[in-house]
Amino acid sequence: MSQKNRLQSGGRIDRSKALTFTYNGRQYKGYQGDTIASALLANGVDIVARSFKYSRPRGIVAAGAEEPNAVLQVGATEATQVPNVRATQQELYDGLVCGATNGWPSVESDMMGLMGKVGGNMMPPGFYYKTFMYPQSMWKTYEKFIRMAAGLGRAPKEVDQDEYDAVNQHCDLMVVGAGPAGLMAALTAARSGARVIIADEQSEFGGHLLSSRERIGGKSAADWVADIVEELASYPDVLMLPRSTVNGYHDHNFLTINENRSDYKGDKAPADQVRQRMHRVRAHWVVLATGAHERPLVYGYNDVPGCMIASAVSTYINRYGVVPGNKLVLMTTNDSAYQTALDWADAGREVVAVVDTRAKAEGDLVEAVRKRGIKVITGSAVIEVSGKKRVSGVTVAAIDAKGDKVVGGAQHMSCDTVASSGGWSPVVHLSCHTGSRPVWREDIFGFVPGPTVQKQLIAGGINGTYALEKVLAEGVEAGREAATRLGLTAADVQLPNVRSLSEGKAMELYHIPHTKPTSRAPKQFVDYQNDVTAAAIELATREGFEAIEHVKRYTAMGFGTDQGKLGNINGMAITAKSVGQTIPETGTTVFRPNYTPIAFGAIAGRNCKELFEPKRFSAMHKWHEENGALYEDVGQWKRPWYFPKAGETMQQSLDRECKAVRESVGILDASTLGKIDIQGKDAREFLARVYTNAWAKLGVGKCRYGLMCKEDGMVFDDGVTSCLGENHFLMTTTTGGAAGVLEWLELYHQTEWPELEVYFTSVTDHWATMTISGPNSRKLLAELTDIDLSNDTFKFMDWREGSVAGVPARVFRISFTGELSFEVNVQANYGLHVWEKLFEHGAKYNLTPYGTETMHILRAEKGFIIAGQDTDGSVTPHDLGMSWCVADSKPFSYIGKRGMMRSDCVRKDRKQMVGLKTKDPKVVLPEGAQAVADPKQPIPMDLLGHVSSSYWSANLNRSIALGFVKGGLERMGETVYYPLADGRVIEAEICSPIFLDPKGERQNV
Amino acid sequence: MSETLAPEKEATVTVAVMNQLSTAKDVRAESPLHHAELDKLASRNPRAGGVSLRELKLLGHLTLRGSQQNQSFMNGCAEVLGVALPTLPLTSVEKGSVSIRWVSPDEWLVVLPADQAFEVERGLRAAIEGHYQVVNVSGGQTILELSGPNARDVLKKSTVLDVHPSQFPVGKVAGSVFAKSTALVRRSGEDTWELVVRRSFADYIWLWLQDASREYGLVIKH
Repeated sequence: MSQKNRLQSGGRIDRSKALTFTYNGRQYKGYQGDTIASALLANGVDIVARSFKYSRPRGIVAAGAEEPNAVLQVGATEATQVPNVRATQQELYDGLVCGATNGWPSVESDMMGLMGKVGGNMMPPGFYYKTFMYPQSMWKTYEKFIRMAAGLGRAPKEVDQDEYDAVNQHCDLMVVGAGPAGLMAALTAARSGARVIIADEQSEFGGHLLSSRERIGGKSAADWVADIVEELASYPDVLMLPRSTVNGYHDHNFLTINENRSDYKGDKAPADQVRQRMHRVRAHWVVLATGAHERPLVYGYNDVPGCMIASAVSTYINRYGVVPGNKLVLMTTNDSAYQTALDWADAGREVVAVVDTRAKAEGDLVEAVRKRGIKVITGSAVIEVSGKKRVSGVTVAAIDAKGDKVVGGAQHMSCDTVASSGGWSPVVHLSCHTGSRPVWREDIFGFVPGPTVQKQLIAGGINGTYALEKVLAEGVEAGREAATRLGLTAADVQLPNVRSLSEGKAMELYHIPHTKPTSRAPKQFVDYQNDVTAAAIELATREGFEAIEHVKRYTAMGFGTDQGKLGNINGMAITAKSVGQTIPETGTTVFRPNYTPIAFGAIAGRNCKELFEPKRFSAMHKWHEENGALYEDVGQWKRPWYFPKAGETMQQSLDRECKAVRESVGILDASTLGKIDIQGKDAREFLARVYTNAWAKLGVGKCRYGLMCKEDGMVFDDGVTSCLGENHFLMTTTTGGAAGVLEWLELYHQTEWPELEVYFTSVTDHWATMTISGPNSRKLLAELTDIDLSNDTFKFMDWREGSVAGVPARVFRISFTGELSFEVNVQANYGLHVWEKLFEHGAKYNLTPYGTETMHILRAEKGFIIAGQDTDGSVTPHDLGMSWCVADSKPFSYIGKRGMMRSDCVRKDRKQMVGLKTKDPKVVLPEGAQAVADPKQPIPMDLLGHVSSSYWSANLNRSIALGFVKGGLERMGETVYYPLADGRVIEAEICSPIFLDPKGERQNV
Repeated sequence: MSETLAPEKEATVTVAVMNQLSTAKDVRAESPLHHAELDKLASRNPRAGGVSLRELKLLGHLTLRGSQQNQSFMNGCAEVLGVALPTLPLTSVEKGSVSIRWVSPDEWLVVLPADQAFEVERGLRAAIEGHYQVVNVSGGQTILELSGPNARDVLKKSTVLDVHPSQFPVGKVAGSVFAKSTALVRRSGEDTWELVVRRSFADYIWLWLQDASREYGLVIKH
């Protein structure tokens, strides 16, 4: 298809590089340098969307981030689908595939359009709230229908194969926007010696100069920009980021930038390259030079394809060599838009008329237009557009001086394009992100950034400064001020000569009156993306939604993916007028990050798949892998859960592992237990204060179990601590609690007892720990060690130093299984060597590796608690039946002592941990089941406590459980009932939690 | 419970010091990245790439804690280590085969050949009076050395530290978040950086570094 709207020459496109792309299943041609939007306009494609509520055909309105309609789905394959792509910002590449997102079955002939025409009137603002909310149960049904009818693209169904990442950046000055103000600010700061980052969302630096025919310093704007860019590139500490949208401005001058690194050149990033990169910038100072968006006027049927903002028309002509129509009517409230009439005429097409809402028009540009013989109609407005899928004409009528009403007869003009300009809205979004509220400037009819706590400067359009010579000057001034505030000597930068224009005063006008009242007039759209009309806003205010935030939520104005960049100010002005207030009285809605939609991948960066969460491994992990371990996640650790043999069920594996430990010997990788080396003359005293039990008399060479409580007297961690020397202890913690315990110790040491001479250092990773447990553990270890393992010299709860498998080791005779056990600790580099040696010698004893699940069963057989499973922050040592582990007679208090003495903690009917034997020994209680005294009582039942640990015990050939029962320690032998969700009731007897070897003989052999 | 001390322990033992290095012949020591087989990768690597990585493995690591006001501690360390502890925050010193990283106002990391760790610990304990801590952590961490023109780019993807030469001169050291783990980062040369990482996180960081450096080309060095 020919590019009927393409000019023979001009623009920044490369006509030697033709590109083919597919839009809605049809092939089109464009050129290198095009956006999808410019290429579609070149090809005469008018309709790019169907509207959200009324399903009206919509065309391209703008040329940048503010575009509300041309929001496309891009992607050649399922995995590369990207929704919410603004056609005005997506650069064209060869083979690009895109489509409209919300036409069904197509944007050209939309089934929903019927409903739009008929049903549109049935969908006033608040329609969803008023209709679909009731009955609530039906919402899911409504939602499906609404999504099909509306929708703005879809997420891919396949995994995105591209790579994304994040980079941390630091700089003295971050310049946002590389238009004339931003370039001057960056140049000035760079010449002053600052570290500068300058980012711009467009493919090239220059901002609106890329679409301008101005001359700067005797050069074309483009050449001037190129010279500045070249100089900036020569500074090693200047980072230039084109195609990089500053999407978020956060506290402490932290900014997030989304850099498009390959979306502009292909469907998929080249191999090993990153598709998008998030720059996380920490800047000392920030210059916002984000420019301004032109505001369209609100008039009847202003959404018919062919209605555009004036500056966008100029951009398509000057930058892309595309004239988006043949016959133009330009409506304006100001002088600047006259440039569009000149650009259109210079492109050789017809300007039907310039309709100026002002009674008088007399600036330099106006005169230039008049000199070209173009008709200028003053004191008038385009009140209505005709045409369905494309503008076919306009109705122009005279309006009063305030723009409140139509005062003259209407005349019809035939045209295919309407460009409108209601002035400019500074792009204040980023300044709003940090909580600064914009302030209204009467002189420019726009909001500018308000006071801020950030180290932020502004320059150019964002400051309501639009004349090029003043924009350049403000850029230099911002750069100089930033340099000075950074403590640098601000460089002098000479301002280039530019054309100076006299301008007539602009008129404050947003909403063009019609001969009919707004409610009866043809639809006058304010927010294209959400189909919010002037009439809807007036209705909302009549219904009592007068605050701008309420109007926004009631009408959905500004809720689209464009965040109302084009429509919000018009909407506020209409609200203000409707409630009889000024705009500053009405106020403005503000903006949140992100400025434009970004891909999830860009947020996730490389923190996905294998790298989503760190996996921590012990020194013996390779052996576990090779021996078929399944893993349990404990914190970030991958701990062997159990080691199934071929054909075994999980229960069969557990039964085998459990029996091996009680009958011969098993081995557990316990390296993940937290280990803290404690040294200092007050180490012992410190332990006595953080543990509930006594430590004064623990001798060198001895180990002791301890419980730790928080101030409230509730258990939070436990473990064995060994006395290595008078001033030297090795504390162990639970695997998951290790970091928390170390922080806890440091917290108390640093804030409460700094006078105690004690230091703590984590040695969790330093020691590989393997627990050999079972009646044959001594025989096995004896084959590999020089330590005397006899029960007389190496007693239960002793530790010894010696050699194991040729490696210096500390061996602790402690037991979590109730069996004779030795915990071997070696420097982790030797962990696997020693582990393998144990297996070499262990075969004859059927040395069986076991995992956390078997460990849990074995310890439950002995009634040993697991902090975090049998405790939940509401359990005191007394509740656990562990009063033996509380020493209230210690001379200094300990953490949790007072808490445990609160009246609530000494109640007799507290939930206490007991053993539970089901009446039917084959039935295993579900963990979490709740005990009741009478299962026949009505619901809600009186609950007595829950089951915290429950297993099948192969050694006891029955089920066992630990659980909490109110006053349980006094209720031994009583029966409780566990009603389950499936209707079953399990009967169980309260018993001692020690199911096996109650006298503890097995560990003392 | 009996409070009798074991015969081989003396009642006067204040701190247990242990030579943790094996001298037995058939004993194999494996660094935290042993399983990654960096040696093999080094031999079949492309020779060119923007980032090089090698593991400075199986070194001796001693954590020192003590007060800078304790003259005996400061003098004892200087005497035994042959160089004074750096007291300027975020700095390191290096002498011969010993490097010392400032970790906090009362903590340093001494890295030295593994077979010197025990003697140095004993020397320190003999030389220092008062309150201090020496802990052998050699098995718990390893050092990854990143070098090459893109090493800085890989660091920028991994840490929020400002690694610009003006902010991170050679010799500077800083501990911080590294990807989702932690590292003690030291700039050891113009284009060379050392990361002290924990054993259990070493595999994660190895995966991370491979991923983050892919676009520049990663060279494994022996």
